[in-house]
Amino acid sequence: MSSESSLFSHRWLPALLLAPMILLILLFFYVPVFQAFYWSFFLEQPFGGGSEFVGFENFQRVLGDPEFWAATGRTVVFMLTASSLAVVVPLMLAIAADRKIGMSYPARNILVWPKGIAGASIGVVFAFIFNPFVGLMAPLNALFPGLWNPGIDGTDAFTTLVAAHVWSGIPFNFVILLAGLRSIPPTMYQAAAMDGAGPWRRIFDVQLPLIMPQLFLTFVLEFTESITSVFALIDTITGGGPGGSTSLLVYKIYVDGFRGFDLSGASTQTAILMVFVLLLAACQFYFLGRRINYER
Amino acid sequence: MTAIDTAIRAAAAEIDLIGVTKSYDAKNTIIPPIDVTLRPGEFTVVLGPSGCGKSTLLQMIAGLERVSGGKIVIGGREVQDLEPKHRGCAMVFQNYALYPHMTVAENMAYSLKVAGVSKAERAERVGTVAKMLGLADFLTRKPGQLSGGQRQRVAIGRAIIREPGVLLFDEPLSNLDAQLRHDMRVELAELHRRIGATSVFVTHDQVEAMTLADRILILNKGHIEQFDTPKAIYHHPASVFVAKFIGSPPMNILQVEGDGSVLRLADGQAVANYAGKGKFQLGIRPEDIAVNEGGSIKTEIRYREDLGSHEILETKIAEQNLRIAMPFGVEIDTTQTLSLSFPQTRLHLFEGESGRAIANAFGDAQPASVKEYQ
Repeated sequence: MSSESSLFSHRWLPALLLAPMILLILLFFYVPVFQAFYWSFFLEQPFGGGSEFVGFENFQRVLGDPEFWAATGRTVVFMLTASSLAVVVPLMLAIAADRKIGMSYPARNILVWPKGIAGASIGVVFAFIFNPFVGLMAPLNALFPGLWNPGIDGTDAFTTLVAAHVWSGIPFNFVILLAGLRSIPPTMYQAAAMDGAGPWRRIFDVQLPLIMPQLFLTFVLEFTESITSVFALIDTITGGGPGGSTSLLVYKIYVDGFRGFDLSGASTQTAILMVFVLLLAACQFYFLGRRINYER
Repeated sequence: MTAIDTAIRAAAAEIDLIGVTKSYDAKNTIIPPIDVTLRPGEFTVVLGPSGCGKSTLLQMIAGLERVSGGKIVIGGREVQDLEPKHRGCAMVFQNYALYPHMTVAENMAYSLKVAGVSKAERAERVGTVAKMLGLADFLTRKPGQLSGGQRQRVAIGRAIIREPGVLLFDEPLSNLDAQLRHDMRVELAELHRRIGATSVFVTHDQVEAMTLADRILILNKGHIEQFDTPKAIYHHPASVFVAKFIGSPPMNILQVEGDGSVLRLADGQAVANYAGKGKFQLGIRPEDIAVNEGGSIKTEIRYREDLGSHEILETKIAEQNLRIAMPFGVEIDTTQTLSLSFPQTRLHLFEGESGRAIANAFGDAQPASVKEYQ
């Protein structure tokens, strides 16, 4: 066995090669993270002029604010619905594309395209698609006046956000899940067919168990990412409205900090959100990750 | 017979292929119409080079490939339009195709589970089959924790647990190493005797074919070259293709020309007496050539391979390769010119163009069993 040290005999070369990356991560990730935590213990003047150590006062204030809890609740609902759909919809598409039904080759290509579109652009497009007067739902509104209006109805606005998020999540998850499905040897399906399992049964008994690693990956990424990546969509589609019904935590932090100039409150909420995301990912690995069978 | 011997026993079904054909489009015909009857309980080996359509044939019987025409009748039932599960077949795949996320027991019981068999009965059947195949200690393991031979046994167990009337094998031993392949061959033969299902075994390995088969079906580009017992195929090959395919090293085939009384090589040497005129192909097995017994055919040794039990001499006569198998213990001076003779009774004659065998070309029929295949 050749050890790696025989390939890289120079002692400092590996460290030197790694340095730029480590520096970048430190500067743009860890420093802001620690800064957010640090600031959450200070009360910052809105227009500059020094800050004052206040201990846990910021946390008391934030946790005592019903608006914080409402935003957290909306974040959890969004996380559960949008993230689940953003995995399940691509999963269905991937299973269909894998089965070589008609047009599955061009579909595989086309389904990847949305990956190249920025979140804000998606937001603008969906704001138009779901516009109650000229969008997709306009004919329905003509038949049933008032049925759909995300500008007034909070649920409609929330639904628009979920739809836009699911749509933007399709390409990445579709590619990962399809790759998982393609790597299942065809004889596995033949064996299942000989064992008497029909196509539907094969999905649940063979395909899903065998793409568990891919499913787990997409779920973890979706759950943690949906919380923050939704910002661009909210900012362009709803602006948090109507009546704060689509103001998720990540958007509230932005509004509190940069519109309300409550920098300390925003820092505190950022710290709480980060801990929440970390705990979420840890739980997923702890409860799901260990049960996954990576054998092929 | 013990209880285990009779616990898994299939009602063997006859398989009739009536004009079965497979083509992907007008130009690419994989299998031209073929008619074959596989008797109940018979072990048939389908043998042929890669791309001859043997796996396609098996998959059509299994229902994994649609037939392009003709009928498949299993146990008196037309099945060519039925789903695999309704055909009463089970299959063992080349790469085992075990479900990696299920334990050995779950793998074997899966077909029963799909069929709605109760949990208690499933456990009982798994127990019986596992005992039969020596897998009782591995039931809770996953396939990834098993050796190649054990995985193969699980694949076989999964196939026989439903007591199918037809067992299909798609090159099941080709992933195993030589020693294991031999052991599994013996086990398979024994298993077949116990279970009694009609078995169809696809392979490109002539040794597997010779040792396992009741009858061998030799396919060449989808055509049946010969369908007969191993002995008959070895001693009476129906064509040059079969003659070259069976035997190790394979039969020597020499291009000869008949002048009405003798067959001559291109350089004019007479090699056999035959009354026919025109081009022929003459076959003789390497082990049937008589060396230095006063024969008139002269040749020199180009290369020798000592295999321990016997020796292979590579020679050339009239610019055509000729292999000679020498039994152990015969000393040959490699520097000397060899004198060969072809015993008339061991010769095979084939038509020059078509390569089909000419029966009884040299008077008396060839001896039925001169040498046992090793």
